[in-house]
Amino acid sequence: MEILIASQVLNGFATGMLYALVGVGLTLVLGVLNIPNFAHGTLYAFGAYFTYTAANLTGSFYLGILVGPLLVVLVGFVIESQGVRRLYRAHHDYQLLFLFAIALILQEAVILIWGPVGFSLLPPPVLDGAVSLGFMAYPKYRLALILFTTLIVVALYLFLTRTNVGAIVRAGIENREMVSVLGIDINKVFLLTFGLGAYLAGLAGGLSTPIMGLTPSMGLDILPIAFVIVVVAGLGSILGAIASGILIGLAQSLTTIWWPEAANVVIYLLMGLVIILKPQGLFGTR
Amino acid sequence: MITFVSRIKARAAATFAAFMLGAAGLVLPSAPTLAADDVAILGLWPQSGPYADVGPLLNMGAVIALEEVGYKVAGKKIKYVTRDSETKAGTAARRSQEAIDSDGAKFVIGPWASGVALAVTEVSKKNKVMYYFSGGTEDISGKRCHRYAFMWAASPWTAMDVNLRTFKKTHPNAKTIYMFVVDYAFGWSLQKYVEQLAPKYGLTVVGVDRHPLGQREYSSYITKAMAKNPDAVFMINFGIDAISAVRQLHNFGYTPKKPVILSWSSGVEELVQMDPAMRANLQVGTNYYYTVDTPENKAFVEAYKKKSGGVPPGYAPAAGYGLMKMTLLAMQKANSTDPQKAIQALEGAKGKNFVGDFEVVAKTHQTVRPFFVLKTKVEKDMKDKHDFGTIVDVSATPQPADLNECKDIGGF
Repeated sequence: MEILIASQVLNGFATGMLYALVGVGLTLVLGVLNIPNFAHGTLYAFGAYFTYTAANLTGSFYLGILVGPLLVVLVGFVIESQGVRRLYRAHHDYQLLFLFAIALILQEAVILIWGPVGFSLLPPPVLDGAVSLGFMAYPKYRLALILFTTLIVVALYLFLTRTNVGAIVRAGIENREMVSVLGIDINKVFLLTFGLGAYLAGLAGGLSTPIMGLTPSMGLDILPIAFVIVVVAGLGSILGAIASGILIGLAQSLTTIWWPEAANVVIYLLMGLVIILKPQGLFGTR
Repeated sequence: MITFVSRIKARAAATFAAFMLGAAGLVLPSAPTLAADDVAILGLWPQSGPYADVGPLLNMGAVIALEEVGYKVAGKKIKYVTRDSETKAGTAARRSQEAIDSDGAKFVIGPWASGVALAVTEVSKKNKVMYYFSGGTEDISGKRCHRYAFMWAASPWTAMDVNLRTFKKTHPNAKTIYMFVVDYAFGWSLQKYVEQLAPKYGLTVVGVDRHPLGQREYSSYITKAMAKNPDAVFMINFGIDAISAVRQLHNFGYTPKKPVILSWSSGVEELVQMDPAMRANLQVGTNYYYTVDTPENKAFVEAYKKKSGGVPPGYAPAAGYGLMKMTLLAMQKANSTDPQKAIQALEGAKGKNFVGDFEVVAKTHQTVRPFFVLKTKVEKDMKDKHDFGTIVDVSATPQPADLNECKDIGGF
């Protein structure tokens, strides 16, 4: 049992760090633009498919993971600059409907471009297979994933807390009108934030492919989890999104030991508890 | 898998069908629109939901069977209508009832999940329409049998028996297996027979984990299985569930060192989604593989490849084709489109079709037909990108009569 729990803690961290990337992306967009991005899940799927295509074209998983998420940023820029930006002054309902429509269109686009049947992408040869941890064999890719996503999350946190651009983004989350009054081009801030959110979703999608594979519905699967992360974390809390991503990954993973059927339900139970006990979220202030 | 243009056409057709279905729903109650010289057949396929990827393939198989007869049977024109089952029992039952009421469907084929089929079979019984299904539940031709429903897939007993037989034959020193079982009617049916039959082949089931339909994370099951060090992981799951489990077994280094048995696989549709490295050392049990050596199958494969851009058919299109062929055969034998006459004509029928010899057991409505077991090929042995494996065993041994729970098929 101890081995199983240790294994599931590792798996929980690997999944949780992917969730953290998706959750931080969503909370940035929600915090700065004040829009719940329903297309976030399909951007995650696009990240996976772009990574798969780039990796196959170049023969390199690393190039795939480099190029794939950047292409998702371009998609994000188009959505923000050509669509969302025109609706900032419109009623919230229009923004929701627009992003919901974009999500459906992108979902169908995945099927039209890559087909309804899924794909698999193996990790690079050096990360393929398992390594002995002494007490159990564990996939090398999952260990590398924990390490890499930890580095990304730390870099992201430093970017948002230690750079001028990061300070502007955080200020946008607190009070975007004030940012605008200070003479900062708020449109650029919005574009940057949407692009960063898209990048994080795309990166998570790309990194998930050797474990989860690719299916057209993968974006729909991740979207509710991303919203749960935001609710549990608290609106606009970057650190909270990271922590709640890991928490939810661990909760799902450990639940499968004792009650596999409840693994997908436990996260909603967790969200319900947070809403009842601390409505502003575990790390939120508003 | 299918060309870009054909995908656009397929999505457009599905969207149009969904729109028309919605529009039809606004004008209730609707009367049957069938002409006197038509017979309506309903293809109930998953166009959305967990098995949405195979819905168009099932439909394509059915259409090929219809094209072979020029959309005519027993002197009547065939009106082929489709509905989206969504792989939801309630939705599938409601939509098949709607097709019976509004389109006058007298024959129903599909859908693609046992739990959903168990709802649709009740609709067919209530409305006295002939129903043909292909799937893993034994209840359609077992304890939920009735006069209107037929099963095309091999009996779960037959399938599990030949899976275990083949594994023991290819791994004579093997003693233990560990099972991953999807937790619904299909999984339960097959698990029962594996546990009963394993001792016959000198095998012990050292562990069973049931997982929900749609499971994507198998690490806890794999860790448990590896702790037991079984000679094989024996899986009773399907589609993306099976692919995800195989992918992660490969991640954990279980394969290719040790074999994984996909005991009830869709064959091509699953194998094409795996990287060749993932496919190494798999035993695959399936109701259909495209290399089956019959003239009828060669014609079917050619017809399918023309529609699919060269991809050979797997179990899904073969099931669509097989269900439609058997339904048409019933009407041809009866020379009538009356469901009751067609059913009577099919009961006890024997013959040859694209999968080989078949017999429809009159007492249970089970179609006794071959079940195939493949050994997958490593990449260097593949002649082309779809040369996934070799058929190493075939069985058409029927389920022992005393194990079948259909005690009385009943009347009309």
